[in-house]
Amino acid sequence: MGLILPYLATLMVFFFIYNIFTWGLNIQFGYAGVLDFTFITFVACGAYFAGVFALGPGSKQTGFEWILGLNWPFPIALLAGAAAAGILGLIIGLIAINRLRSDYMAIVTLAAGTVIYGLVSNFTPLFDGFDGLAGLTQPFSQILPLNSNQFTYLWVLVSGVVMVVCWFIAQRILNSPLGRTMRATRDDQDAADTFGKDTVRVRLIAMSMGAVLAGVGGALLMGFIGAFSPAGWTSGETFVVFAAMIVGGTGNNWGGVVGSFVVAVLINEATRYIPPIQADPTLIPTVRNMLIGASLIVVLWVRPQGIIPEARRRLYQLPLRPGKPPAAEVESA
Amino acid sequence: MPDTDALLQVEHLSHSFGGFKAVDDCSFDIARGSISALIGPNGAGKSTVVGLIGGALRNQSGSIHFDGHDISRMAAFKVARLGLLRTYQVSREFGRLTVMENLLVPPPNQKGENLLNVLFRPSVGRGEDRMLVDRAVEVLETFGLLSLRDEYAANLSGGEKRLLELARAVMAQPKFMLLDEPMAGINPALIARLDSHIRRLRDELGITFLLVEHNLDVVERICDRVVVMAFGRTLAEGRMSELRQNPEVVRAYLGGGLDERAAG
Ligand SMILES: Nc1ncnc2c1ncn2[C@@H]1O[C@H](COP(=O)(O)OP(=O)(O)OP(=O)(O)O)[C@@H](O)[C@H]1O
Ligand SMILES: [Mg+2]
Repeated sequence: MGLILPYLATLMVFFFIYNIFTWGLNIQFGYAGVLDFTFITFVACGAYFAGVFALGPGSKQTGFEWILGLNWPFPIALLAGAAAAGILGLIIGLIAINRLRSDYMAIVTLAAGTVIYGLVSNFTPLFDGFDGLAGLTQPFSQILPLNSNQFTYLWVLVSGVVMVVCWFIAQRILNSPLGRTMRATRDDQDAADTFGKDTVRVRLIAMSMGAVLAGVGGALLMGFIGAFSPAGWTSGETFVVFAAMIVGGTGNNWGGVVGSFVVAVLINEATRYIPPIQADPTLIPTVRNMLIGASLIVVLWVRPQGIIPEARRRLYQLPLRPGKPPAAEVESA
Repeated sequence: MPDTDALLQVEHLSHSFGGFKAVDDCSFDIARGSISALIGPNGAGKSTVVGLIGGALRNQSGSIHFDGHDISRMAAFKVARLGLLRTYQVSREFGRLTVMENLLVPPPNQKGENLLNVLFRPSVGRGEDRMLVDRAVEVLETFGLLSLRDEYAANLSGGEKRLLELARAVMAQPKFMLLDEPMAGINPALIARLDSHIRRLRDELGITFLLVEHNLDVVERICDRVVVMAFGRTLAEGRMSELRQNPEVVRAYLGGGLDERAAG
């Protein structure tokens, strides 16, 4: 009992944060059809910027070196991380989306992410290179001095509140005329163009808003763990979020919740707490990745639209001819 | 030469793919309020001309004027915002949107597409949508698609998709509609319905039409004026009945093929 509660609370925090991730990726891919293969870079951007806003100044002498170091309160640091990620989303989007379509665009995002990864991990004055940021004191510790278990419970609350705000952002976009135009752009960009829609702009908005949610989640991670380094955002992490989104179902946010629960909580995070077998410490992560891959394959095989498919919107109610479900999708309740 | 009553003026348009000249010095005018046709054998360059006018392709030389604006090399969405809508030879519906949603995409300047309104004043978009839905219901009713309004567009039959393309375009309240083979692959009963819709839209809403069409009966029935293209060039212009007598036009349609096509 003494151990299980903090353990569950920790899983809860990761679940909440992963929900924010899947919704962010869903805005990009599920709504607007933007293939962003470097989603984790925006997570990192949010984490790093939240970190350097909240941390004290670094210095070369101590061996902990980073930009800014403003000692600002965590809520402001979180907003700064979100804004930085949104701006980075816009920049990478401008390079990738402006001139290119679908597959090439995805490759450009991947390339941009690789360049940024190399830069951040090797150029120490930025975020202390491969060692990364560390030593963030518990956010809110001045007002609320807590032991580490109590802090975990506090973070369930903090990330829960932030998650609810992100839910409203994601839902408002999805259910708006803007969301409809995003989905039209996803289905046929040329046709949306010929109806006077500035589809490049629409996709940039989706890219940037998705990156904002990634940055928010990254900032929450930073605040929770107190440290963040390149080992935590290898490109494989992007595919964990993709797997979660696709398993749960794209184009709706409940799908993201289910997907992040299955992939990011049940499979990904839960296995991390099983003690590694002495003989082979890489066994657990390998099993985790195999399970994520297998769940993706199973879902794509038996239910390609995901566990929760995109909802059909009925905008005008009258007696009508009963609709047949589309070939690739089934109407959700 | 500039005809004041011309809504669309195409002058000396050329476009090559690689080294191949698909459109080669093509010129014609379309009069405001007319229903015109662009005809010609397969590969004549008709769809390429449509793409150039609509902005999907950037013309390499020549100019295109629409309603007082130079739209040569203008981006497709900007051309559309001036009131020129084109359709594609193959239906291009938004498959995972319902029929109703397909109709709600085209109306221009929707306040609900503004991110700040979306995040902070969602009621703005909802209020606007209620009015658009009412208009869409009327349009769907005239096209006989109301009962399909909640169906995913991807599930419609070929003919229903053609009707949807027209209905969707009407929602944008265009001045000019450029239809690339709107009757391709649909049954004769629906062809009759489509051509009466086109005439009705011209008469009631004053929309000018240019149709790329292989069915010369339809062309003869509804089009005031016909532009004939062959090998990327404009070959002749006039009424269909005159063009049938034009030996050059007849030859372009593979030696007498014109009469067979007209009969079939
Ligand atoms: N993207 C492209 N790349 C290369 N060649 C092309 C391309 N698009 C069209 N062409 C060629 O340009 C010529 C004109 O094509 P276009 O589609 O404009 O003809 P069309 O008059 O519309 O014919 P159809 O009646 O069969 O639709 C054809 O020879 C075609 O093969
Ligand atoms: Mg064609």
